[in-house]
Amino acid sequence: MKVSIRELEIERERGFRLLVPDLSIEASCATALFGPNGAGKTTLLRAIAGLESGPRGSVLLDGRPAAEVAPRQVAYAFQEAVFFSGSVRRNLALALDLRGVDSAEAARRIADVAQATGTTALLDADARRLSGGEAKRVNLARALALRSPLTLLDEPFAQLDGPLRLRLLDDLPDLLERFTQTALIVTHDLEEAARLASRLVVVIDGEVRAHDEVATLLRQPPDPEVARLLGFVLVEGGGGALAIQPGRLRVGDGPVRVDMTVRRVIDLGHAIEVVGAIGDARVAVVLPRGHQRPAPGETFSVAADEAVRFSK
Amino acid sequence: MTDLASGCVEALRLLAARDPEVWGIVLRTLIVSGVATLLAMLVGVPLGYLLARTRFPGRTLVLGLVNTGMGMPPVVMGLFVWLMLVRTGPLGGFELIYTVQAMAIAQFLIATPMVVGFTTVSIQALPARLPDLLRVLGASRVRRIWLLAREARLGLLAAVMAGFGAVISEVGASMMVGGNLRGRTRILTTAIVTETSRGETERAIALGLLLLVLAFVVNLFLTRTQQVQR
Repeated sequence: MKVSIRELEIERERGFRLLVPDLSIEASCATALFGPNGAGKTTLLRAIAGLESGPRGSVLLDGRPAAEVAPRQVAYAFQEAVFFSGSVRRNLALALDLRGVDSAEAARRIADVAQATGTTALLDADARRLSGGEAKRVNLARALALRSPLTLLDEPFAQLDGPLRLRLLDDLPDLLERFTQTALIVTHDLEEAARLASRLVVVIDGEVRAHDEVATLLRQPPDPEVARLLGFVLVEGGGGALAIQPGRLRVGDGPVRVDMTVRRVIDLGHAIEVVGAIGDARVAVVLPRGHQRPAPGETFSVAADEAVRFSK
Repeated sequence: MTDLASGCVEALRLLAARDPEVWGIVLRTLIVSGVATLLAMLVGVPLGYLLARTRFPGRTLVLGLVNTGMGMPPVVMGLFVWLMLVRTGPLGGFELIYTVQAMAIAQFLIATPMVVGFTTVSIQALPARLPDLLRVLGASRVRRIWLLAREARLGLLAAVMAGFGAVISEVGASMMVGGNLRGRTRILTTAIVTETSRGETERAIALGLLLLVLAFVVNLFLTRTQQVQR
């Protein structure tokens, strides 16, 4: 399901404003709405779900107004998992019933989605007494059970930790593939965005600042602010700025050379790591075997094979 | 103490004797207060829902008025309804004064603020995202209200019990607008006043016990509905 937004303007309390002059989100793929907390990602998602009353501008889903289409064809898992009283099964059944799915088909879908999301054991539990992680999974299962052409997920991994989070990160792309056509995922975590989505919409301060393939944006961010948000280390100087992906930094020589200030040298057993800062960004590089250890406070030269240059 | 004991005996005797006057009073009490509570629910629950779910200028003022209404002395409401319905009053033409209808109207006005107030609070206590969830799932407006009310039913039934409790125990307003006419507008509370002032203490105690039992039975039924496992 294709999402087209034109001249959208939503004002909120405390002077916050979301302004989206023109944004088209491709159908049949997963797109991450990525940005810092408070940037307006959730507001944008709510507008797409037709939940924002009277926004200026238009939000169209396959060419028709979102407020009209969403109640039948959009699944939305809120960041806070909310449930009606009763069992998990009852909550899933209620959602399917509201979408006009008959009870035999609903029972099949519930069993199916519960198995896929690993929530079968929770089906008869009281939905309002689930732990944070369980509630998150059930919340996701309820959205997927609808098998909507457009599925919206708001921070699906908030409150999830450790192995559970990693497992769901691995599983979610397949789940989305199976249960929906187009997915929009709000996240403030770059790793989540990169693992789950093929395209990225970068939202900063109520504005869409970039929209492209994840790989393209990571290779060529459009401006220093987006680069910083995408995890690049920024080095000012020479009438512009240099953005380097921290993973590309290494000890030794290379076409791009920058100085880092050493904070600590850590022996990890399998490797020795030098942790420090370039500007206000934290960086860590592995010290090659036999290389002399720098001392804390020292300036240490590191290099990268490539960097993105921004001229002022 | 002997008065109370003999009152209990008298109560049992009255019930056993199937005194038609007493049964008439019990039935009238139940109908007047029941109808008043039912109407208060029909008006009060949607009103409370709107107050909880919508924001408009003057909302706080309305909520303040509702909360004041919850503590309004019934006799003041009785006076207001009497002034409206009395032959020379603005609604005197309906000739409702000193009828059970007038009593039901007064009791309805007493119960409504309670139902509105309790409903507002219990709907507001629901998780904030629940209404959004229902909208995204495409629930019609009627279905949304029904599902949220169901979810808030502990509070809503408390509202009904509070409303019913207030009107079945109320005496001043019913006395003023009903007139306590024997066989026509006499209810348990006004009958107790009459019997006591006539020196028929035993009968008064008997009627008082009946009132307690009636209130208990109705509330027991409502409590069962409220506490049922879903």
